[in-house]
Amino acid sequence: MISRKLQYIVLALVLAILVMGAYLVHLKRKAESIGTPPVAGALTAPVSGPAEQMVLYLANDEEYALRPIAVSSALPSDSGERGRLALHTVIARYLQKDSAHPLGAGSDVHDVYLLDPTSAVVNLNAAFAATHPSGVEVEQLSIFSLVLTLKAQLPELTRVRFLIEGKPRDTLAGHLDLSGWYDVALVSQVSSGLK
Amino acid sequence: MPNKHAIAVRVTALLLMLLAAGFAAEPRRISVYAPQAVYQVDILVRDGVDYVGLTDLLEPLGRLESRVEGKKLKLTFNGADAEFQDGKRQCHVRSNKQELPGNFLLVDGRGYIPAAAIAQFLPRLSDQAADFHPASRRLFIGSSQLHFSAELRHAPARLVLSFSAPVSPSTFIEKNRVRLLFRREPLVGSGADTVSYNDPFVQSTSFVESPSGTELLVNLLQPATISTSDGGRTLTVSAVVPQAPPPATPAAPPAPSALAPGAAQGQTSQPRPAPRPHPFVIIDAAHGGSDTGAMLSPALAEKNITLALARRLQKELEARGIPVVVTRAGDNLLTWDQRAVSANTSHSSLYVSLHASASGHGVRVYTALLPAPEPSQNRRVFMPWELAQSPFLAQSGTASAALAAECTAAGVPVRSSAVTLRPLNSITLAAVAVEVAPLGSAAEELGTPEYQQKVAAALASGIAALRSRLEGAQ
Repeated sequence: MISRKLQYIVLALVLAILVMGAYLVHLKRKAESIGTPPVAGALTAPVSGPAEQMVLYLANDEEYALRPIAVSSALPSDSGERGRLALHTVIARYLQKDSAHPLGAGSDVHDVYLLDPTSAVVNLNAAFAATHPSGVEVEQLSIFSLVLTLKAQLPELTRVRFLIEGKPRDTLAGHLDLSGWYDVALVSQVSSGLK
Repeated sequence: MPNKHAIAVRVTALLLMLLAAGFAAEPRRISVYAPQAVYQVDILVRDGVDYVGLTDLLEPLGRLESRVEGKKLKLTFNGADAEFQDGKRQCHVRSNKQELPGNFLLVDGRGYIPAAAIAQFLPRLSDQAADFHPASRRLFIGSSQLHFSAELRHAPARLVLSFSAPVSPSTFIEKNRVRLLFRREPLVGSGADTVSYNDPFVQSTSFVESPSGTELLVNLLQPATISTSDGGRTLTVSAVVPQAPPPATPAAPPAPSALAPGAAQGQTSQPRPAPRPHPFVIIDAAHGGSDTGAMLSPALAEKNITLALARRLQKELEARGIPVVVTRAGDNLLTWDQRAVSANTSHSSLYVSLHASASGHGVRVYTALLPAPEPSQNRRVFMPWELAQSPFLAQSGTASAALAAECTAAGVPVRSSAVTLRPLNSITLAAVAVEVAPLGSAAEELGTPEYQQKVAAALASGIAALRSRLEGAQ
């Protein structure tokens, strides 16, 4: 005969396991849905100094086009920071209401790391991938836009890789491959065929 | 006290095991073998009864139209009508009443019948015989079954397994037994599942059907080897002879009386069957299963549009006499590597991956975004998996141009580009991806039969125009 006390202990243990398991799943889902808070573009000290020209390549879904535009801004001297600022500016344009290539709220870039002058790793935030519209063309335009904008700031760049929250990811939103390096020359060549 | 403690530990362990089993349980499916397609259908369990979706079951088999009117589902399959009512056992097939073994279900606009009803229901609707094996969850439609016979022969000792069609099983030669695992073949048993032989070489054979395939087990008393002949129709399990007999001279073939059909490896007195034509194109409907792809509208998943397009394209091509294979014929998930391997081993000349998008208009045709191959990178050179498409880029470009030209001719706006889209980079034949967007602004247009048919016909014309060029290059 099992004592009542032992029965209570076993029952309490089982309940504790189930509750802890459920709580763990809840925490995991919560962490996945929240991700890292979006970077507001203030991780680095505000840049001062003379304004320089920065070329951005902006995508247009309706016209299937990537168009360069020039903006003036004070740019940091660090190459990685220049790249990050340029990509942050591009993504901010896509978040505007009248954007021709709308992205989901909270999309941003965390960092741009330069392994050497020719190789850059772009660390995008979770919202960028989680809220990105799904489709071959729309994903292609986003990635090509970021690659070309980065190349405009870093002329020696030959290859770019993308991470999401610091981790490799198979695809951006179910289609475009993010598992490897993007050849900047190839992207430029294909983009020249767009409008 | 220790007993109580042991009981408590066992109870806790049992609960944890039940939890783990619940998480690890895989979705159950029925494997369907039909002359026109081999595919899988998900099982829906309600009140302990296995149900199958009528659309999943019938769409790969022929022309299906269905509509929901209140609690009723009316469908027309290859011109035959059927009517079902949610929650009722009775249904009408070709104006005849039929009693299902369980209630008909209407869930989210999709009709489900009990799996046990398939064998009765299908023949009445389609005029094709249906044989359902509930234990192994395998359904054979028409004359799709593959039969075999086993014959024990002597001098030398061997067991000759003859199949009604070529087979390609996974073979495992173990100590005192040979296991032949048939994962894809619609192999069925021929008589008793276990046959015992009073022989110094073969002890017994047994045949086991399971949802993952069928297994033919040969229990032996001597070490053995296995060989294939007659174009894969005959497998011979032979005893390993310690001292090989003197080789026969090529100039002295054995007497005709010694040449039993399929008895000698690579030799047969029967005429060989005509080789099956290689498919010209392999169609890959992107996404599937848990990977829905893009949600084109709240009720329209990309995986369903790509599958519907693939089926229409397949029919259009077959109507033009072009042999086709598909990577998936139902709502099942394939990895990119599985798709690439299917394409690379299909002996096809063209791979077409189908996608759908609510963004933009018309059709987009993509090739792989890879650098142009160097002169040394011909098809005989070993290439990394991620660059395997490189030597085929020129052919892929030709295919892309042909498809784009036919879409334009059909009045569908088209764009061509290069993109990093799996598994294009790993395909070792001409390969393109086609993304279909609506002509107007409403994504629902992608689900209309008229638009799907228009796109499928244009793509089929482009593929037909390519045939002579690509097959010649191949």
